[in-house]
Amino acid sequence: MNDQTGPTPPSNALRDFYQQGLAEIRAQFEQHDSLRTAGHIAIEQRAKLADEVMLRLWDRLGEHPRLKSGVAVVAIGGYGRRQLFPHSDLDVLFLLDNSIKDLDLKDPIRRINQEIWDCGIRASPQTRQLSECDSLIAGNPEFTLSLMDHRFLCGDRKLYDKLAKDALPKLLQREHRTLIARLVEITLDRHGKYANTLFHLEPNIKDCPGGLRDMNVCGWLTTLYTIAAQAQKQARPEHGNPSEFKHATDFLATVRCFLHYTHDRDDNVLYWQSQDAAAKDALALGNIGRRTVDASIWMRSFFRNARTIHRRTMQLLEEAPRVRGSSFYDQLRRRHKRSQFDGFHIQHGRIVFDPPASSKAPDPANDPDTVLNLFGAIATHGCKLSSEAEDRLEPALPVLAANLEEGPALWSHFRTILNGPFAGEALRAMHALGILELIVPEFLGIDALVIRDAYHRYTVDEHTFVLVDVLHSLQRPPEPMLANNRPNTFAEWQRRFGGLLADLPHPELLYLAALMHDTGKGRETPDHAKESARMAKNLFARMELDPYEAGIVRHLIVNHLAMSATLRRDIFDLETLRAFVEQVESPEQLRMLALLTYADISAVHPDALTPWKAENLWNLYIGASNYLDRTVDDDRVRSRAGSELIQRVTTLAPARSKEIRAYLQGFPQRYLRTRTPEQVFSHFEIASNLVSANTATRDTEAGIAAAVDLILNQALPVSEITLVALDRPRLFATIAGALSAWGMDIVNADAFANSSGIVVDSFSFIDRFRTLELNPSEHKRFVKSLKDALTGATPIEKLLASRSRGGKRKPPKVNVETQINFDHEASTHSTLLQVVAQDVPGLLRAISITVADHDCNIEVALIDTEGEMAIDVFYLTRFGQKLDSARAGLLRDDLIVAIARNTL
Amino acid sequence: MQKIEAIIQPSKLDAVKEALIEVGIQGITILEARGHGRQKGHTETYRGREYSVDLLPKLKLEMIVTDDMVDEVINTIANAARSGKIGDGKIFVSRIDNAIRIRNDERGDNAI
Repeated sequence: MNDQTGPTPPSNALRDFYQQGLAEIRAQFEQHDSLRTAGHIAIEQRAKLADEVMLRLWDRLGEHPRLKSGVAVVAIGGYGRRQLFPHSDLDVLFLLDNSIKDLDLKDPIRRINQEIWDCGIRASPQTRQLSECDSLIAGNPEFTLSLMDHRFLCGDRKLYDKLAKDALPKLLQREHRTLIARLVEITLDRHGKYANTLFHLEPNIKDCPGGLRDMNVCGWLTTLYTIAAQAQKQARPEHGNPSEFKHATDFLATVRCFLHYTHDRDDNVLYWQSQDAAAKDALALGNIGRRTVDASIWMRSFFRNARTIHRRTMQLLEEAPRVRGSSFYDQLRRRHKRSQFDGFHIQHGRIVFDPPASSKAPDPANDPDTVLNLFGAIATHGCKLSSEAEDRLEPALPVLAANLEEGPALWSHFRTILNGPFAGEALRAMHALGILELIVPEFLGIDALVIRDAYHRYTVDEHTFVLVDVLHSLQRPPEPMLANNRPNTFAEWQRRFGGLLADLPHPELLYLAALMHDTGKGRETPDHAKESARMAKNLFARMELDPYEAGIVRHLIVNHLAMSATLRRDIFDLETLRAFVEQVESPEQLRMLALLTYADISAVHPDALTPWKAENLWNLYIGASNYLDRTVDDDRVRSRAGSELIQRVTTLAPARSKEIRAYLQGFPQRYLRTRTPEQVFSHFEIASNLVSANTATRDTEAGIAAAVDLILNQALPVSEITLVALDRPRLFATIAGALSAWGMDIVNADAFANSSGIVVDSFSFIDRFRTLELNPSEHKRFVKSLKDALTGATPIEKLLASRSRGGKRKPPKVNVETQINFDHEASTHSTLLQVVAQDVPGLLRAISITVADHDCNIEVALIDTEGEMAIDVFYLTRFGQKLDSARAGLLRDDLIVAIARNTL
Repeated sequence: MQKIEAIIQPSKLDAVKEALIEVGIQGITILEARGHGRQKGHTETYRGREYSVDLLPKLKLEMIVTDDMVDEVINTIANAARSGKIGDGKIFVSRIDNAIRIRNDERGDNAI
């Protein structure tokens, strides 16, 4: 830097010197701005240049008699840290001895400040007596925080030493708890202004979560925690990865310098155009020779670095309650009593690993089961990982990778994590440590991946976690008011879609689909949904998901954009509905797809799901749901037609293709869509055996009665029993009654028949008294009891009598009014009966026996439960014809009586 | 200079947008709207509950065009949004006194 002297007045010469220095720093930065450390060098150089200006000024103006002693000039804040960004203010403290009054020095200090401004430096000077620096100023903790970064510039060194070695250490010793509290409060407030996320389309790289101000917060908190530990005569271990943190702060410093130079002012917003310009320069990427990169790739680096700072900040903020020990910090996290698990415990809302049981015992952090249980605990309880736990997990990754057991055990762990109400937090923590990628390496490709279209606010990985958060939030009752005091216009939609979620028998499949739905974006492919589904197949294989579950998840991933695409068409047009429904295999899939779409749109951007879109989505959902139910009877399998669904079954036994096709002839298509090919094939085999075993007597009543077999799949919370039988009167009513007699609460059922009179009925039920769960030996007796009821070996009335209701029923939480509707137009050859009623045990039996009493045949039955409401749809014929109006009227009257009697 | 407001079916947005871009219209404001004219709504029953869809989803497009473009833009929107069924929508035209580009204070046709 040239020192220009000569005939110009001193202030002009100093200004020229400073401006020349600035120009050199800028030129050097612009030449090397692709280097990560370019910003770090520039801010240090500017601080050094400013020091030189201050010294020269002091040399000239410090000769003033009143400045000779008792005054020290101290650099504080960013200037004190030697981090002077191109357009940052110069924070200078004029520290006065207690014997000197501010007024005495007003003029000489004003002159110095004037000259600083004349040089072109924006100064933020403060004048304080030493006594004003040894206590916290109410309402201005920022001053004490900036004082923590003090640095002597010129003047009375002894006075400065009093501040640095006595007054300030004593103040921090005395007030560190209050200061920590205020710092946490200020930081959380600031984060709140940015919706507590670092993901913004145009982030403010100074103030956003994960910005440079967070870097300072980390520095201050570390200092204050160290003071707190020393006060308790404890050592404070270092946590985290310092080199990763340094890398991130260097990156952001370079970006901030770039923004200051580009905007020519202290403007720290990374605008869209600035992102393009930064990518063009490969800013801070360390590329030698400045290879231009795509803006989305550059932003990916930005978010990775911001994420590192944000994570460290959050870890340190989490540490605050332990230091202060006050209920004030309850806003930070939920408090928990100490909860003990195998290998770890939860203390004050944070997870801490237990030490190894002995010096030779393995470290729990190296045990995959313990680690997965730990993330299960986070998902279930919403607790956080302690810094110590993170420090132990990071080096354990290779051991975990080597010992991770795949198969059903892994799926069981993962299911617990996905189903937990805080699954999003658990998945974020796993992702931050690389543990998610051990289980789902497919996720690596979308790490911090940016979809740069001015619409997707989050990176793809964060979008996925937000989506999981949105789904779980539907389980909670919606808040009528939002945090910003505005009415929650989504409360109604959250309630409606939340109702769909509550009805899912396997919500974990939806969450798994949510986790995987965008993984294909990490590959260059024209159809990311298909690619995601292809990648998910590997995960299914590793977890050994059963084919039915894998099929549901795969279907959801492939079709996750189908509903959004349909929303761009006329959703009230029947043809649009038909085309959409063709992509949906079952009502359960439709529910999951509606939920996935709701959450997927919500997770693109906080404003992406407008009430208008939510309403359209709901209308499409109910339109499609009704279409599915109303067309089921007409949409039958024609075995001669080429159908992928039929082929999937026939490929299991090509030699028996003809028999299989004959078996499938006449079943509603929904039967094929809601069962796996393996399940359909097993039904076919049972049906074949029944027919061949009863060939001789098939036309006799006894032969028909004997032709029945059952498959029980006991599971929690919902079990399923499927019966395959030759059709007979009151079949549906009998099995419903038998289940009711055993105290089973039927939540879902369907009944289908083919052209040859083979019936396949499936009932999903909750074992209210846990009979099957607690007594495995009862499984056989249960199945035999049902079979005896169906074959007539045990009269159903006897079974029902032996299981009379014990005690009074609990009063319902919600009263459901009985509604009975007939639709003679929904099907070409059946009458549709829909019954909506209070869901009480025995309801299905009461309805089906009444239907049978009217000589009505159940062609198709679709039984569903929504909370305390039973919604049962039957397609009925009477002697092969639709019901006439008179019969429908009589049946309605009898149903009302039967339902009322059963409810009593 | 005139303002053209078009109420269209949401399903016609892509077609209308593409057609407008083709005739040189770049600045469009799109608003989500609900309403009905002669096309009344309907009631959908789902799980025993009635959901009334009496206000149908629509999109409202707004654009300011120079006088010489008005007829072409109207025809373009009408052709792209027309299905021939009730509910295709409406187009309204009104006069605008002035337009100002905030960034550089340009006024009149130049600000469009």
